[in-house]
Amino acid sequence: MAEETLLVGRGLTKRYGGVTALEGVDFELRAGEILGLVGPNGAGKTTLVDLISGAQAATTGELVLRGSKLTGPASRRARAGLARTFQYPQLALELSVRDNLLLGWAARRHASLWQMIVGAAAGALRPRVPADQAAVRTLAEELGIEGLDRAAGDLTLGEQRLVEVGRALGQDPLVLLLDEPFAGSDARGVTGIAEVIHTVQRRGHAVILVDHNVDLVARLVDRVMLLDRGRVVFDGDPRECLASPQMQSVYFGSDADTDTDSGAGSPETQAEVEDVRS
Amino acid sequence: MTTTISRPTVSSDRWDPRRIPGGGGLALGVAVAALILVWVGSDGYRQTLVISAATYALIALGMYVPYLMAGSLSMAYSAYAGIGGYAVGLISARTGLPLVVAWIAGPIVAALVAVVLGMVTRRLSGFFLAAVTLLFGMAFTAFLIDAESVSGGSGGLGNLRPLNLLGWTPSHYHVVVGSAVVVCVIAFLLDRLRLSPWGVVVRTMRDAPRAVEAAGVRVPVLNIVALALGAMIAAVGGGLFTYAAGSITPDTFTLNIVFLAIFMPLIGGAGTPWGAVAGAVIAVELTLNFPAVQTSGTLLLAVGVLVIMLVAPKGVVGYADKLRTRLWALLRKERDRG
Amino acid sequence: MTDLQLWLSAMEMGCFFGMLALAYHLIYVGAGFFNFAIGPYAMMGGLCTSWLVITYDLGVWPAAAIGVAATIALAAATELGVVRPVQKRGGGELPALVAVAAVLFAIQQFAGYLFGYPTLPGQSLASFAPVPVGDITVQPSSLLLIVVAVLTFVATAAWIRFSRTGRLLRAVGDSNQAAALLGLPVNRIRLIAFVVAGFVAALAGLLFAPKAGVNSLSGLHWSLSGFLAVVVGGTGSVWAPLLGGMLLGLVEVFLPYYFGGQSHVYGMLLIALLFFAFKPQGLFVRKVRA
Ligand SMILES: Nc1ncnc2c1ncn2[C@@H]1O[C@H](COP(=O)(O)OP(=O)(O)OP(=O)(O)O)[C@@H](O)[C@H]1O
Ligand SMILES: [Mg+2]
Repeated sequence: MAEETLLVGRGLTKRYGGVTALEGVDFELRAGEILGLVGPNGAGKTTLVDLISGAQAATTGELVLRGSKLTGPASRRARAGLARTFQYPQLALELSVRDNLLLGWAARRHASLWQMIVGAAAGALRPRVPADQAAVRTLAEELGIEGLDRAAGDLTLGEQRLVEVGRALGQDPLVLLLDEPFAGSDARGVTGIAEVIHTVQRRGHAVILVDHNVDLVARLVDRVMLLDRGRVVFDGDPRECLASPQMQSVYFGSDADTDTDSGAGSPETQAEVEDVRS
Repeated sequence: MTTTISRPTVSSDRWDPRRIPGGGGLALGVAVAALILVWVGSDGYRQTLVISAATYALIALGMYVPYLMAGSLSMAYSAYAGIGGYAVGLISARTGLPLVVAWIAGPIVAALVAVVLGMVTRRLSGFFLAAVTLLFGMAFTAFLIDAESVSGGSGGLGNLRPLNLLGWTPSHYHVVVGSAVVVCVIAFLLDRLRLSPWGVVVRTMRDAPRAVEAAGVRVPVLNIVALALGAMIAAVGGGLFTYAAGSITPDTFTLNIVFLAIFMPLIGGAGTPWGAVAGAVIAVELTLNFPAVQTSGTLLLAVGVLVIMLVAPKGVVGYADKLRTRLWALLRKERDRG
Repeated sequence: MTDLQLWLSAMEMGCFFGMLALAYHLIYVGAGFFNFAIGPYAMMGGLCTSWLVITYDLGVWPAAAIGVAATIALAAATELGVVRPVQKRGGGELPALVAVAAVLFAIQQFAGYLFGYPTLPGQSLASFAPVPVGDITVQPSSLLLIVVAVLTFVATAAWIRFSRTGRLLRAVGDSNQAAALLGLPVNRIRLIAFVVAGFVAALAGLLFAPKAGVNSLSGLHWSLSGFLAVVVGGTGSVWAPLLGGMLLGLVEVFLPYYFGGQSHVYGMLLIALLFFAFKPQGLFVRKVRA
C-alpha cells in the first residue's frame, strides 16, 4: 500500500488559561493507516481531535494535509477531507435517523454561499433526490443501522454513535476522526464501526481512533499513540505499547489516579457554564 | 394506477399522491383557504381579515426558517415587513416604475438588510440576539419617522397606484384571492424545503451546530442565508398588506406583530410551516374578529400560547396530525377486517 | 433647561434602569437566564398603583402595596407556572426565551385589559415640597427614586453578602448543577430570586412612573433598557447593574438633547451592538474562582 503521508501535526499545543491540555504533540499519519489514540481521562485526546478538526483553535502548532496547510474553521477542514464524530454525540434529536445520516452526504452540496442559495431553491422544488436516499441506505447497511424513520432522540447512546459514524463516513473523508465510538455500543455496533474503519482503510484513507480501552484498540489499529497529561508518551506498535513501561506508569502508576481523576468531567462542566453565558 | 406498474422501483417508492413531499399539507391548506374564500364572498370586512391573516402568515412563515428551522430567534421582522411595505409605497409615490417591481425590490432590500444585520450579530444567540433585533426594529421605526423626505415621516405614504399587470388591474377580491394563493404556495415550498437536504442541514444547525460545521458547512453563513430568505418572505407580506390597505405608516408593522408571529407557529404547530399559517388565521380571528372578546382577544391569545406551550407543545397542527394518524390506523384496521 | 437639570434627569433614568438591571441580575444569578418580563413587572407595579388610586380613590400607600404585591405574585407565577416547567423539558435556550416572550406579551395584554390602554399619570409616594438645588428644584418623586434606588442596591448587596439565602444564591449562580448535587434547595432559591426581582422591579416602576406616566405597553422598552444595562454593566457584581444603568441613563438623556428626536434609540442599538460584539461579558466580570 502507499506510504504517502496524509496528515502531519507539528508542535500542537492547547492552553486554557493556565491549564495546558496539550503540549507539543507531533504526529504523522500515512495513507491507509489506522492510528489509535489512547490515554486516561483528561489526557487530551478529545482536545487533539478538536485541534485537528478545527473545532478549537490551537494555541500553537500546525497541521499539514497532503502537503497543504490545514487551517481555518472546521467547515473548511471538513471540505479538505476531514470528518469526525463527537464524544458526546451531536445529532439533531428531532430529526429521523435517515436525515441525520443524510447530513454528511448532503453537506458537500451546501458548502459555498452560492451552493447554499441554489440548494435552497433546488430543495424547495425537488426535496427528495433518489441518489440521496440510495446513499443513505448504503450507509445504513454498511453500519447495520435499522429503523431509519425513528427519531434520533429515541436511539440508545450506542446507536447514536453508530449514526454519527455513518454520517461522517458519508463525507467520504481522507481522515476519519472517531472520538470514543465504542462507548455504549453493543456487539453489533462494534462490528459496524470496525467495518467502517476498514472501508476507509481500503479506500487508502486514514482513521484516528480514540478510546480508553487499549486492548480493544490494539486489535484494530496499526499504530498507537499514548497520551498522558497532554504529552505523547508512547508512539508505536500497539502490542509493544501494551507491554511498555509508559503504559504501566500511565495507567497503573502510583501518582496516576490522583492526577487523572481531577480532569474527568471538567470539560463538560466548562461547556455548560459557557452555554449559560452565551 | 398504471404508473406504479411501469416503474421499476421497490414498492416503498411507488408513486402515490400522499407521498409527494408536502402534498398532504398543501391539499389541506388549499381546502381550508378555499372554504375561507367562499365564506368571505364580497364582504369587505372579511376581505380585510383575509388580507391581515395572509400578512401575518407571511411574516410568520418568514420567521419560520431562521426561528424554527435554524433555531435563532431574530425579532427584526417588523422591519423586514416594513421594507416590503415601503417598497410598494415608494415605488408608487416616487417613481414611474410598474408597481410589480416593488415585490422584487422590497424582498431584495429586506434580504440585504437581513444579511448586514445577520453579519453584525453573527456571534449572538438567544436572548442577546432577540434584544438586538428588537432594538433594530425600534430603530427602524424611529428612522422611518425621522427620514421624512424619504418615508413621509409619521404620516407615511398613501394614495398608492393600482397594480397593472400587462393591462389587467386586479379587483380587491382578486387581491384577496391572490394573497391566499401566495400564502399557500410559500407554505408548500417551505414545507418541501424543510424536508429537503437543505432543510436537514439547517434544522441540524439548531440542535447540533458543531456537527454541521464538522460536515463542511459554515454555520454562520448558512444562518445568514436562512435569515435573508425569511426576510424576503416577510417583505412579500408587507408589500401585500400595504397594497391592499392603500397606505403605510411607521406604525403599520409594530413589534406586536413580531410577538404574534413568534406565537403563531406555537399555536398552529411548529412541526410544519402550515402550523404558522393556521396560527395566523387563529390569531387574526381572535384579535380582530371575535366580537365577544374584542379587547381581550389578544390577551386570550397570549394566555392560549402559554397554555399550549405547557400542555400541547406540538400545537394545533401537531394535535390534528396525531388525530389523523389515529384515524388512519383505525380505518385501516376496519378495512383489513371487512 | 440647564445642564444640572439634564444631569439630574440622567441620574433618575440611570437609577431606574439600574434597578431593572438589578432585577435581571438576580434572576440571572438564580436561574441562569434573562427574564425579559422584568419591564412588564415594573409596568405592573406602576400602572396597578395609579389605576387603584385613580379609579378607587385609594390612598397612594395602600395602592402601592397592592401593586407591589401583585407584581411579586406575577413574578412567582412566572417561575412556578412557566419558566420552571419549560426549562425542565430541556431543549436549550430557545424554549425559555419564547416562554418569557409569551409571559411579557401576556402581562402587557392583561394589564391593558384590566387597567385600560391609555397612559396614566404616576403617583408620587412623597409629599414634601420640591427641594431647591442650585438653580433648579428637585421634585420629591425624583429624590425618592434616587434615594430608594441607592438603598435598594445597598440592601441587596448586604443581603447577598451576609444573609444565608444570599450566599446560597451566589452558590447556585456559580454552578446550578453543583449546587443541586450538594443538596442545596435550588428550586427555593430560584423562587426567592424571582420574588426579590419582582419586588425590585415593581418598586422601580412605581417610583419612575411619576416622571412620564405609565401605560400597558411601557414594559417592552423598559425590558430592553434594563437588559442593556445588565449587558453593559456585566454580571460580575451586584453594583454592576447600577453602573450600566447610569451609563444608559446618560445616553437616554444627553443624546436626544444634542442630536434631537429619536437619537437615543439609535444610541441604544449602537451600544448594544458594540457591547455584544466587543465586550459581551460587560464591564465587570466576576473572576472565576479556581
Ligand atoms: N474548555 C476547557 N477549559 C478548560 N480546560 C479544559 C477545557 N476542555 C478541556 N480542558 C482540559 O483539558 C484536558 C484534556 O481534556 P480532554 O477532553 O482532551 O481529555 P480526554 O483525553 O478526551 O479525556 P476523556 O477520556 O475524559 O474524554 C483536561 O484536563 C481538561 O480538564
Ligand atoms: Mg475525550
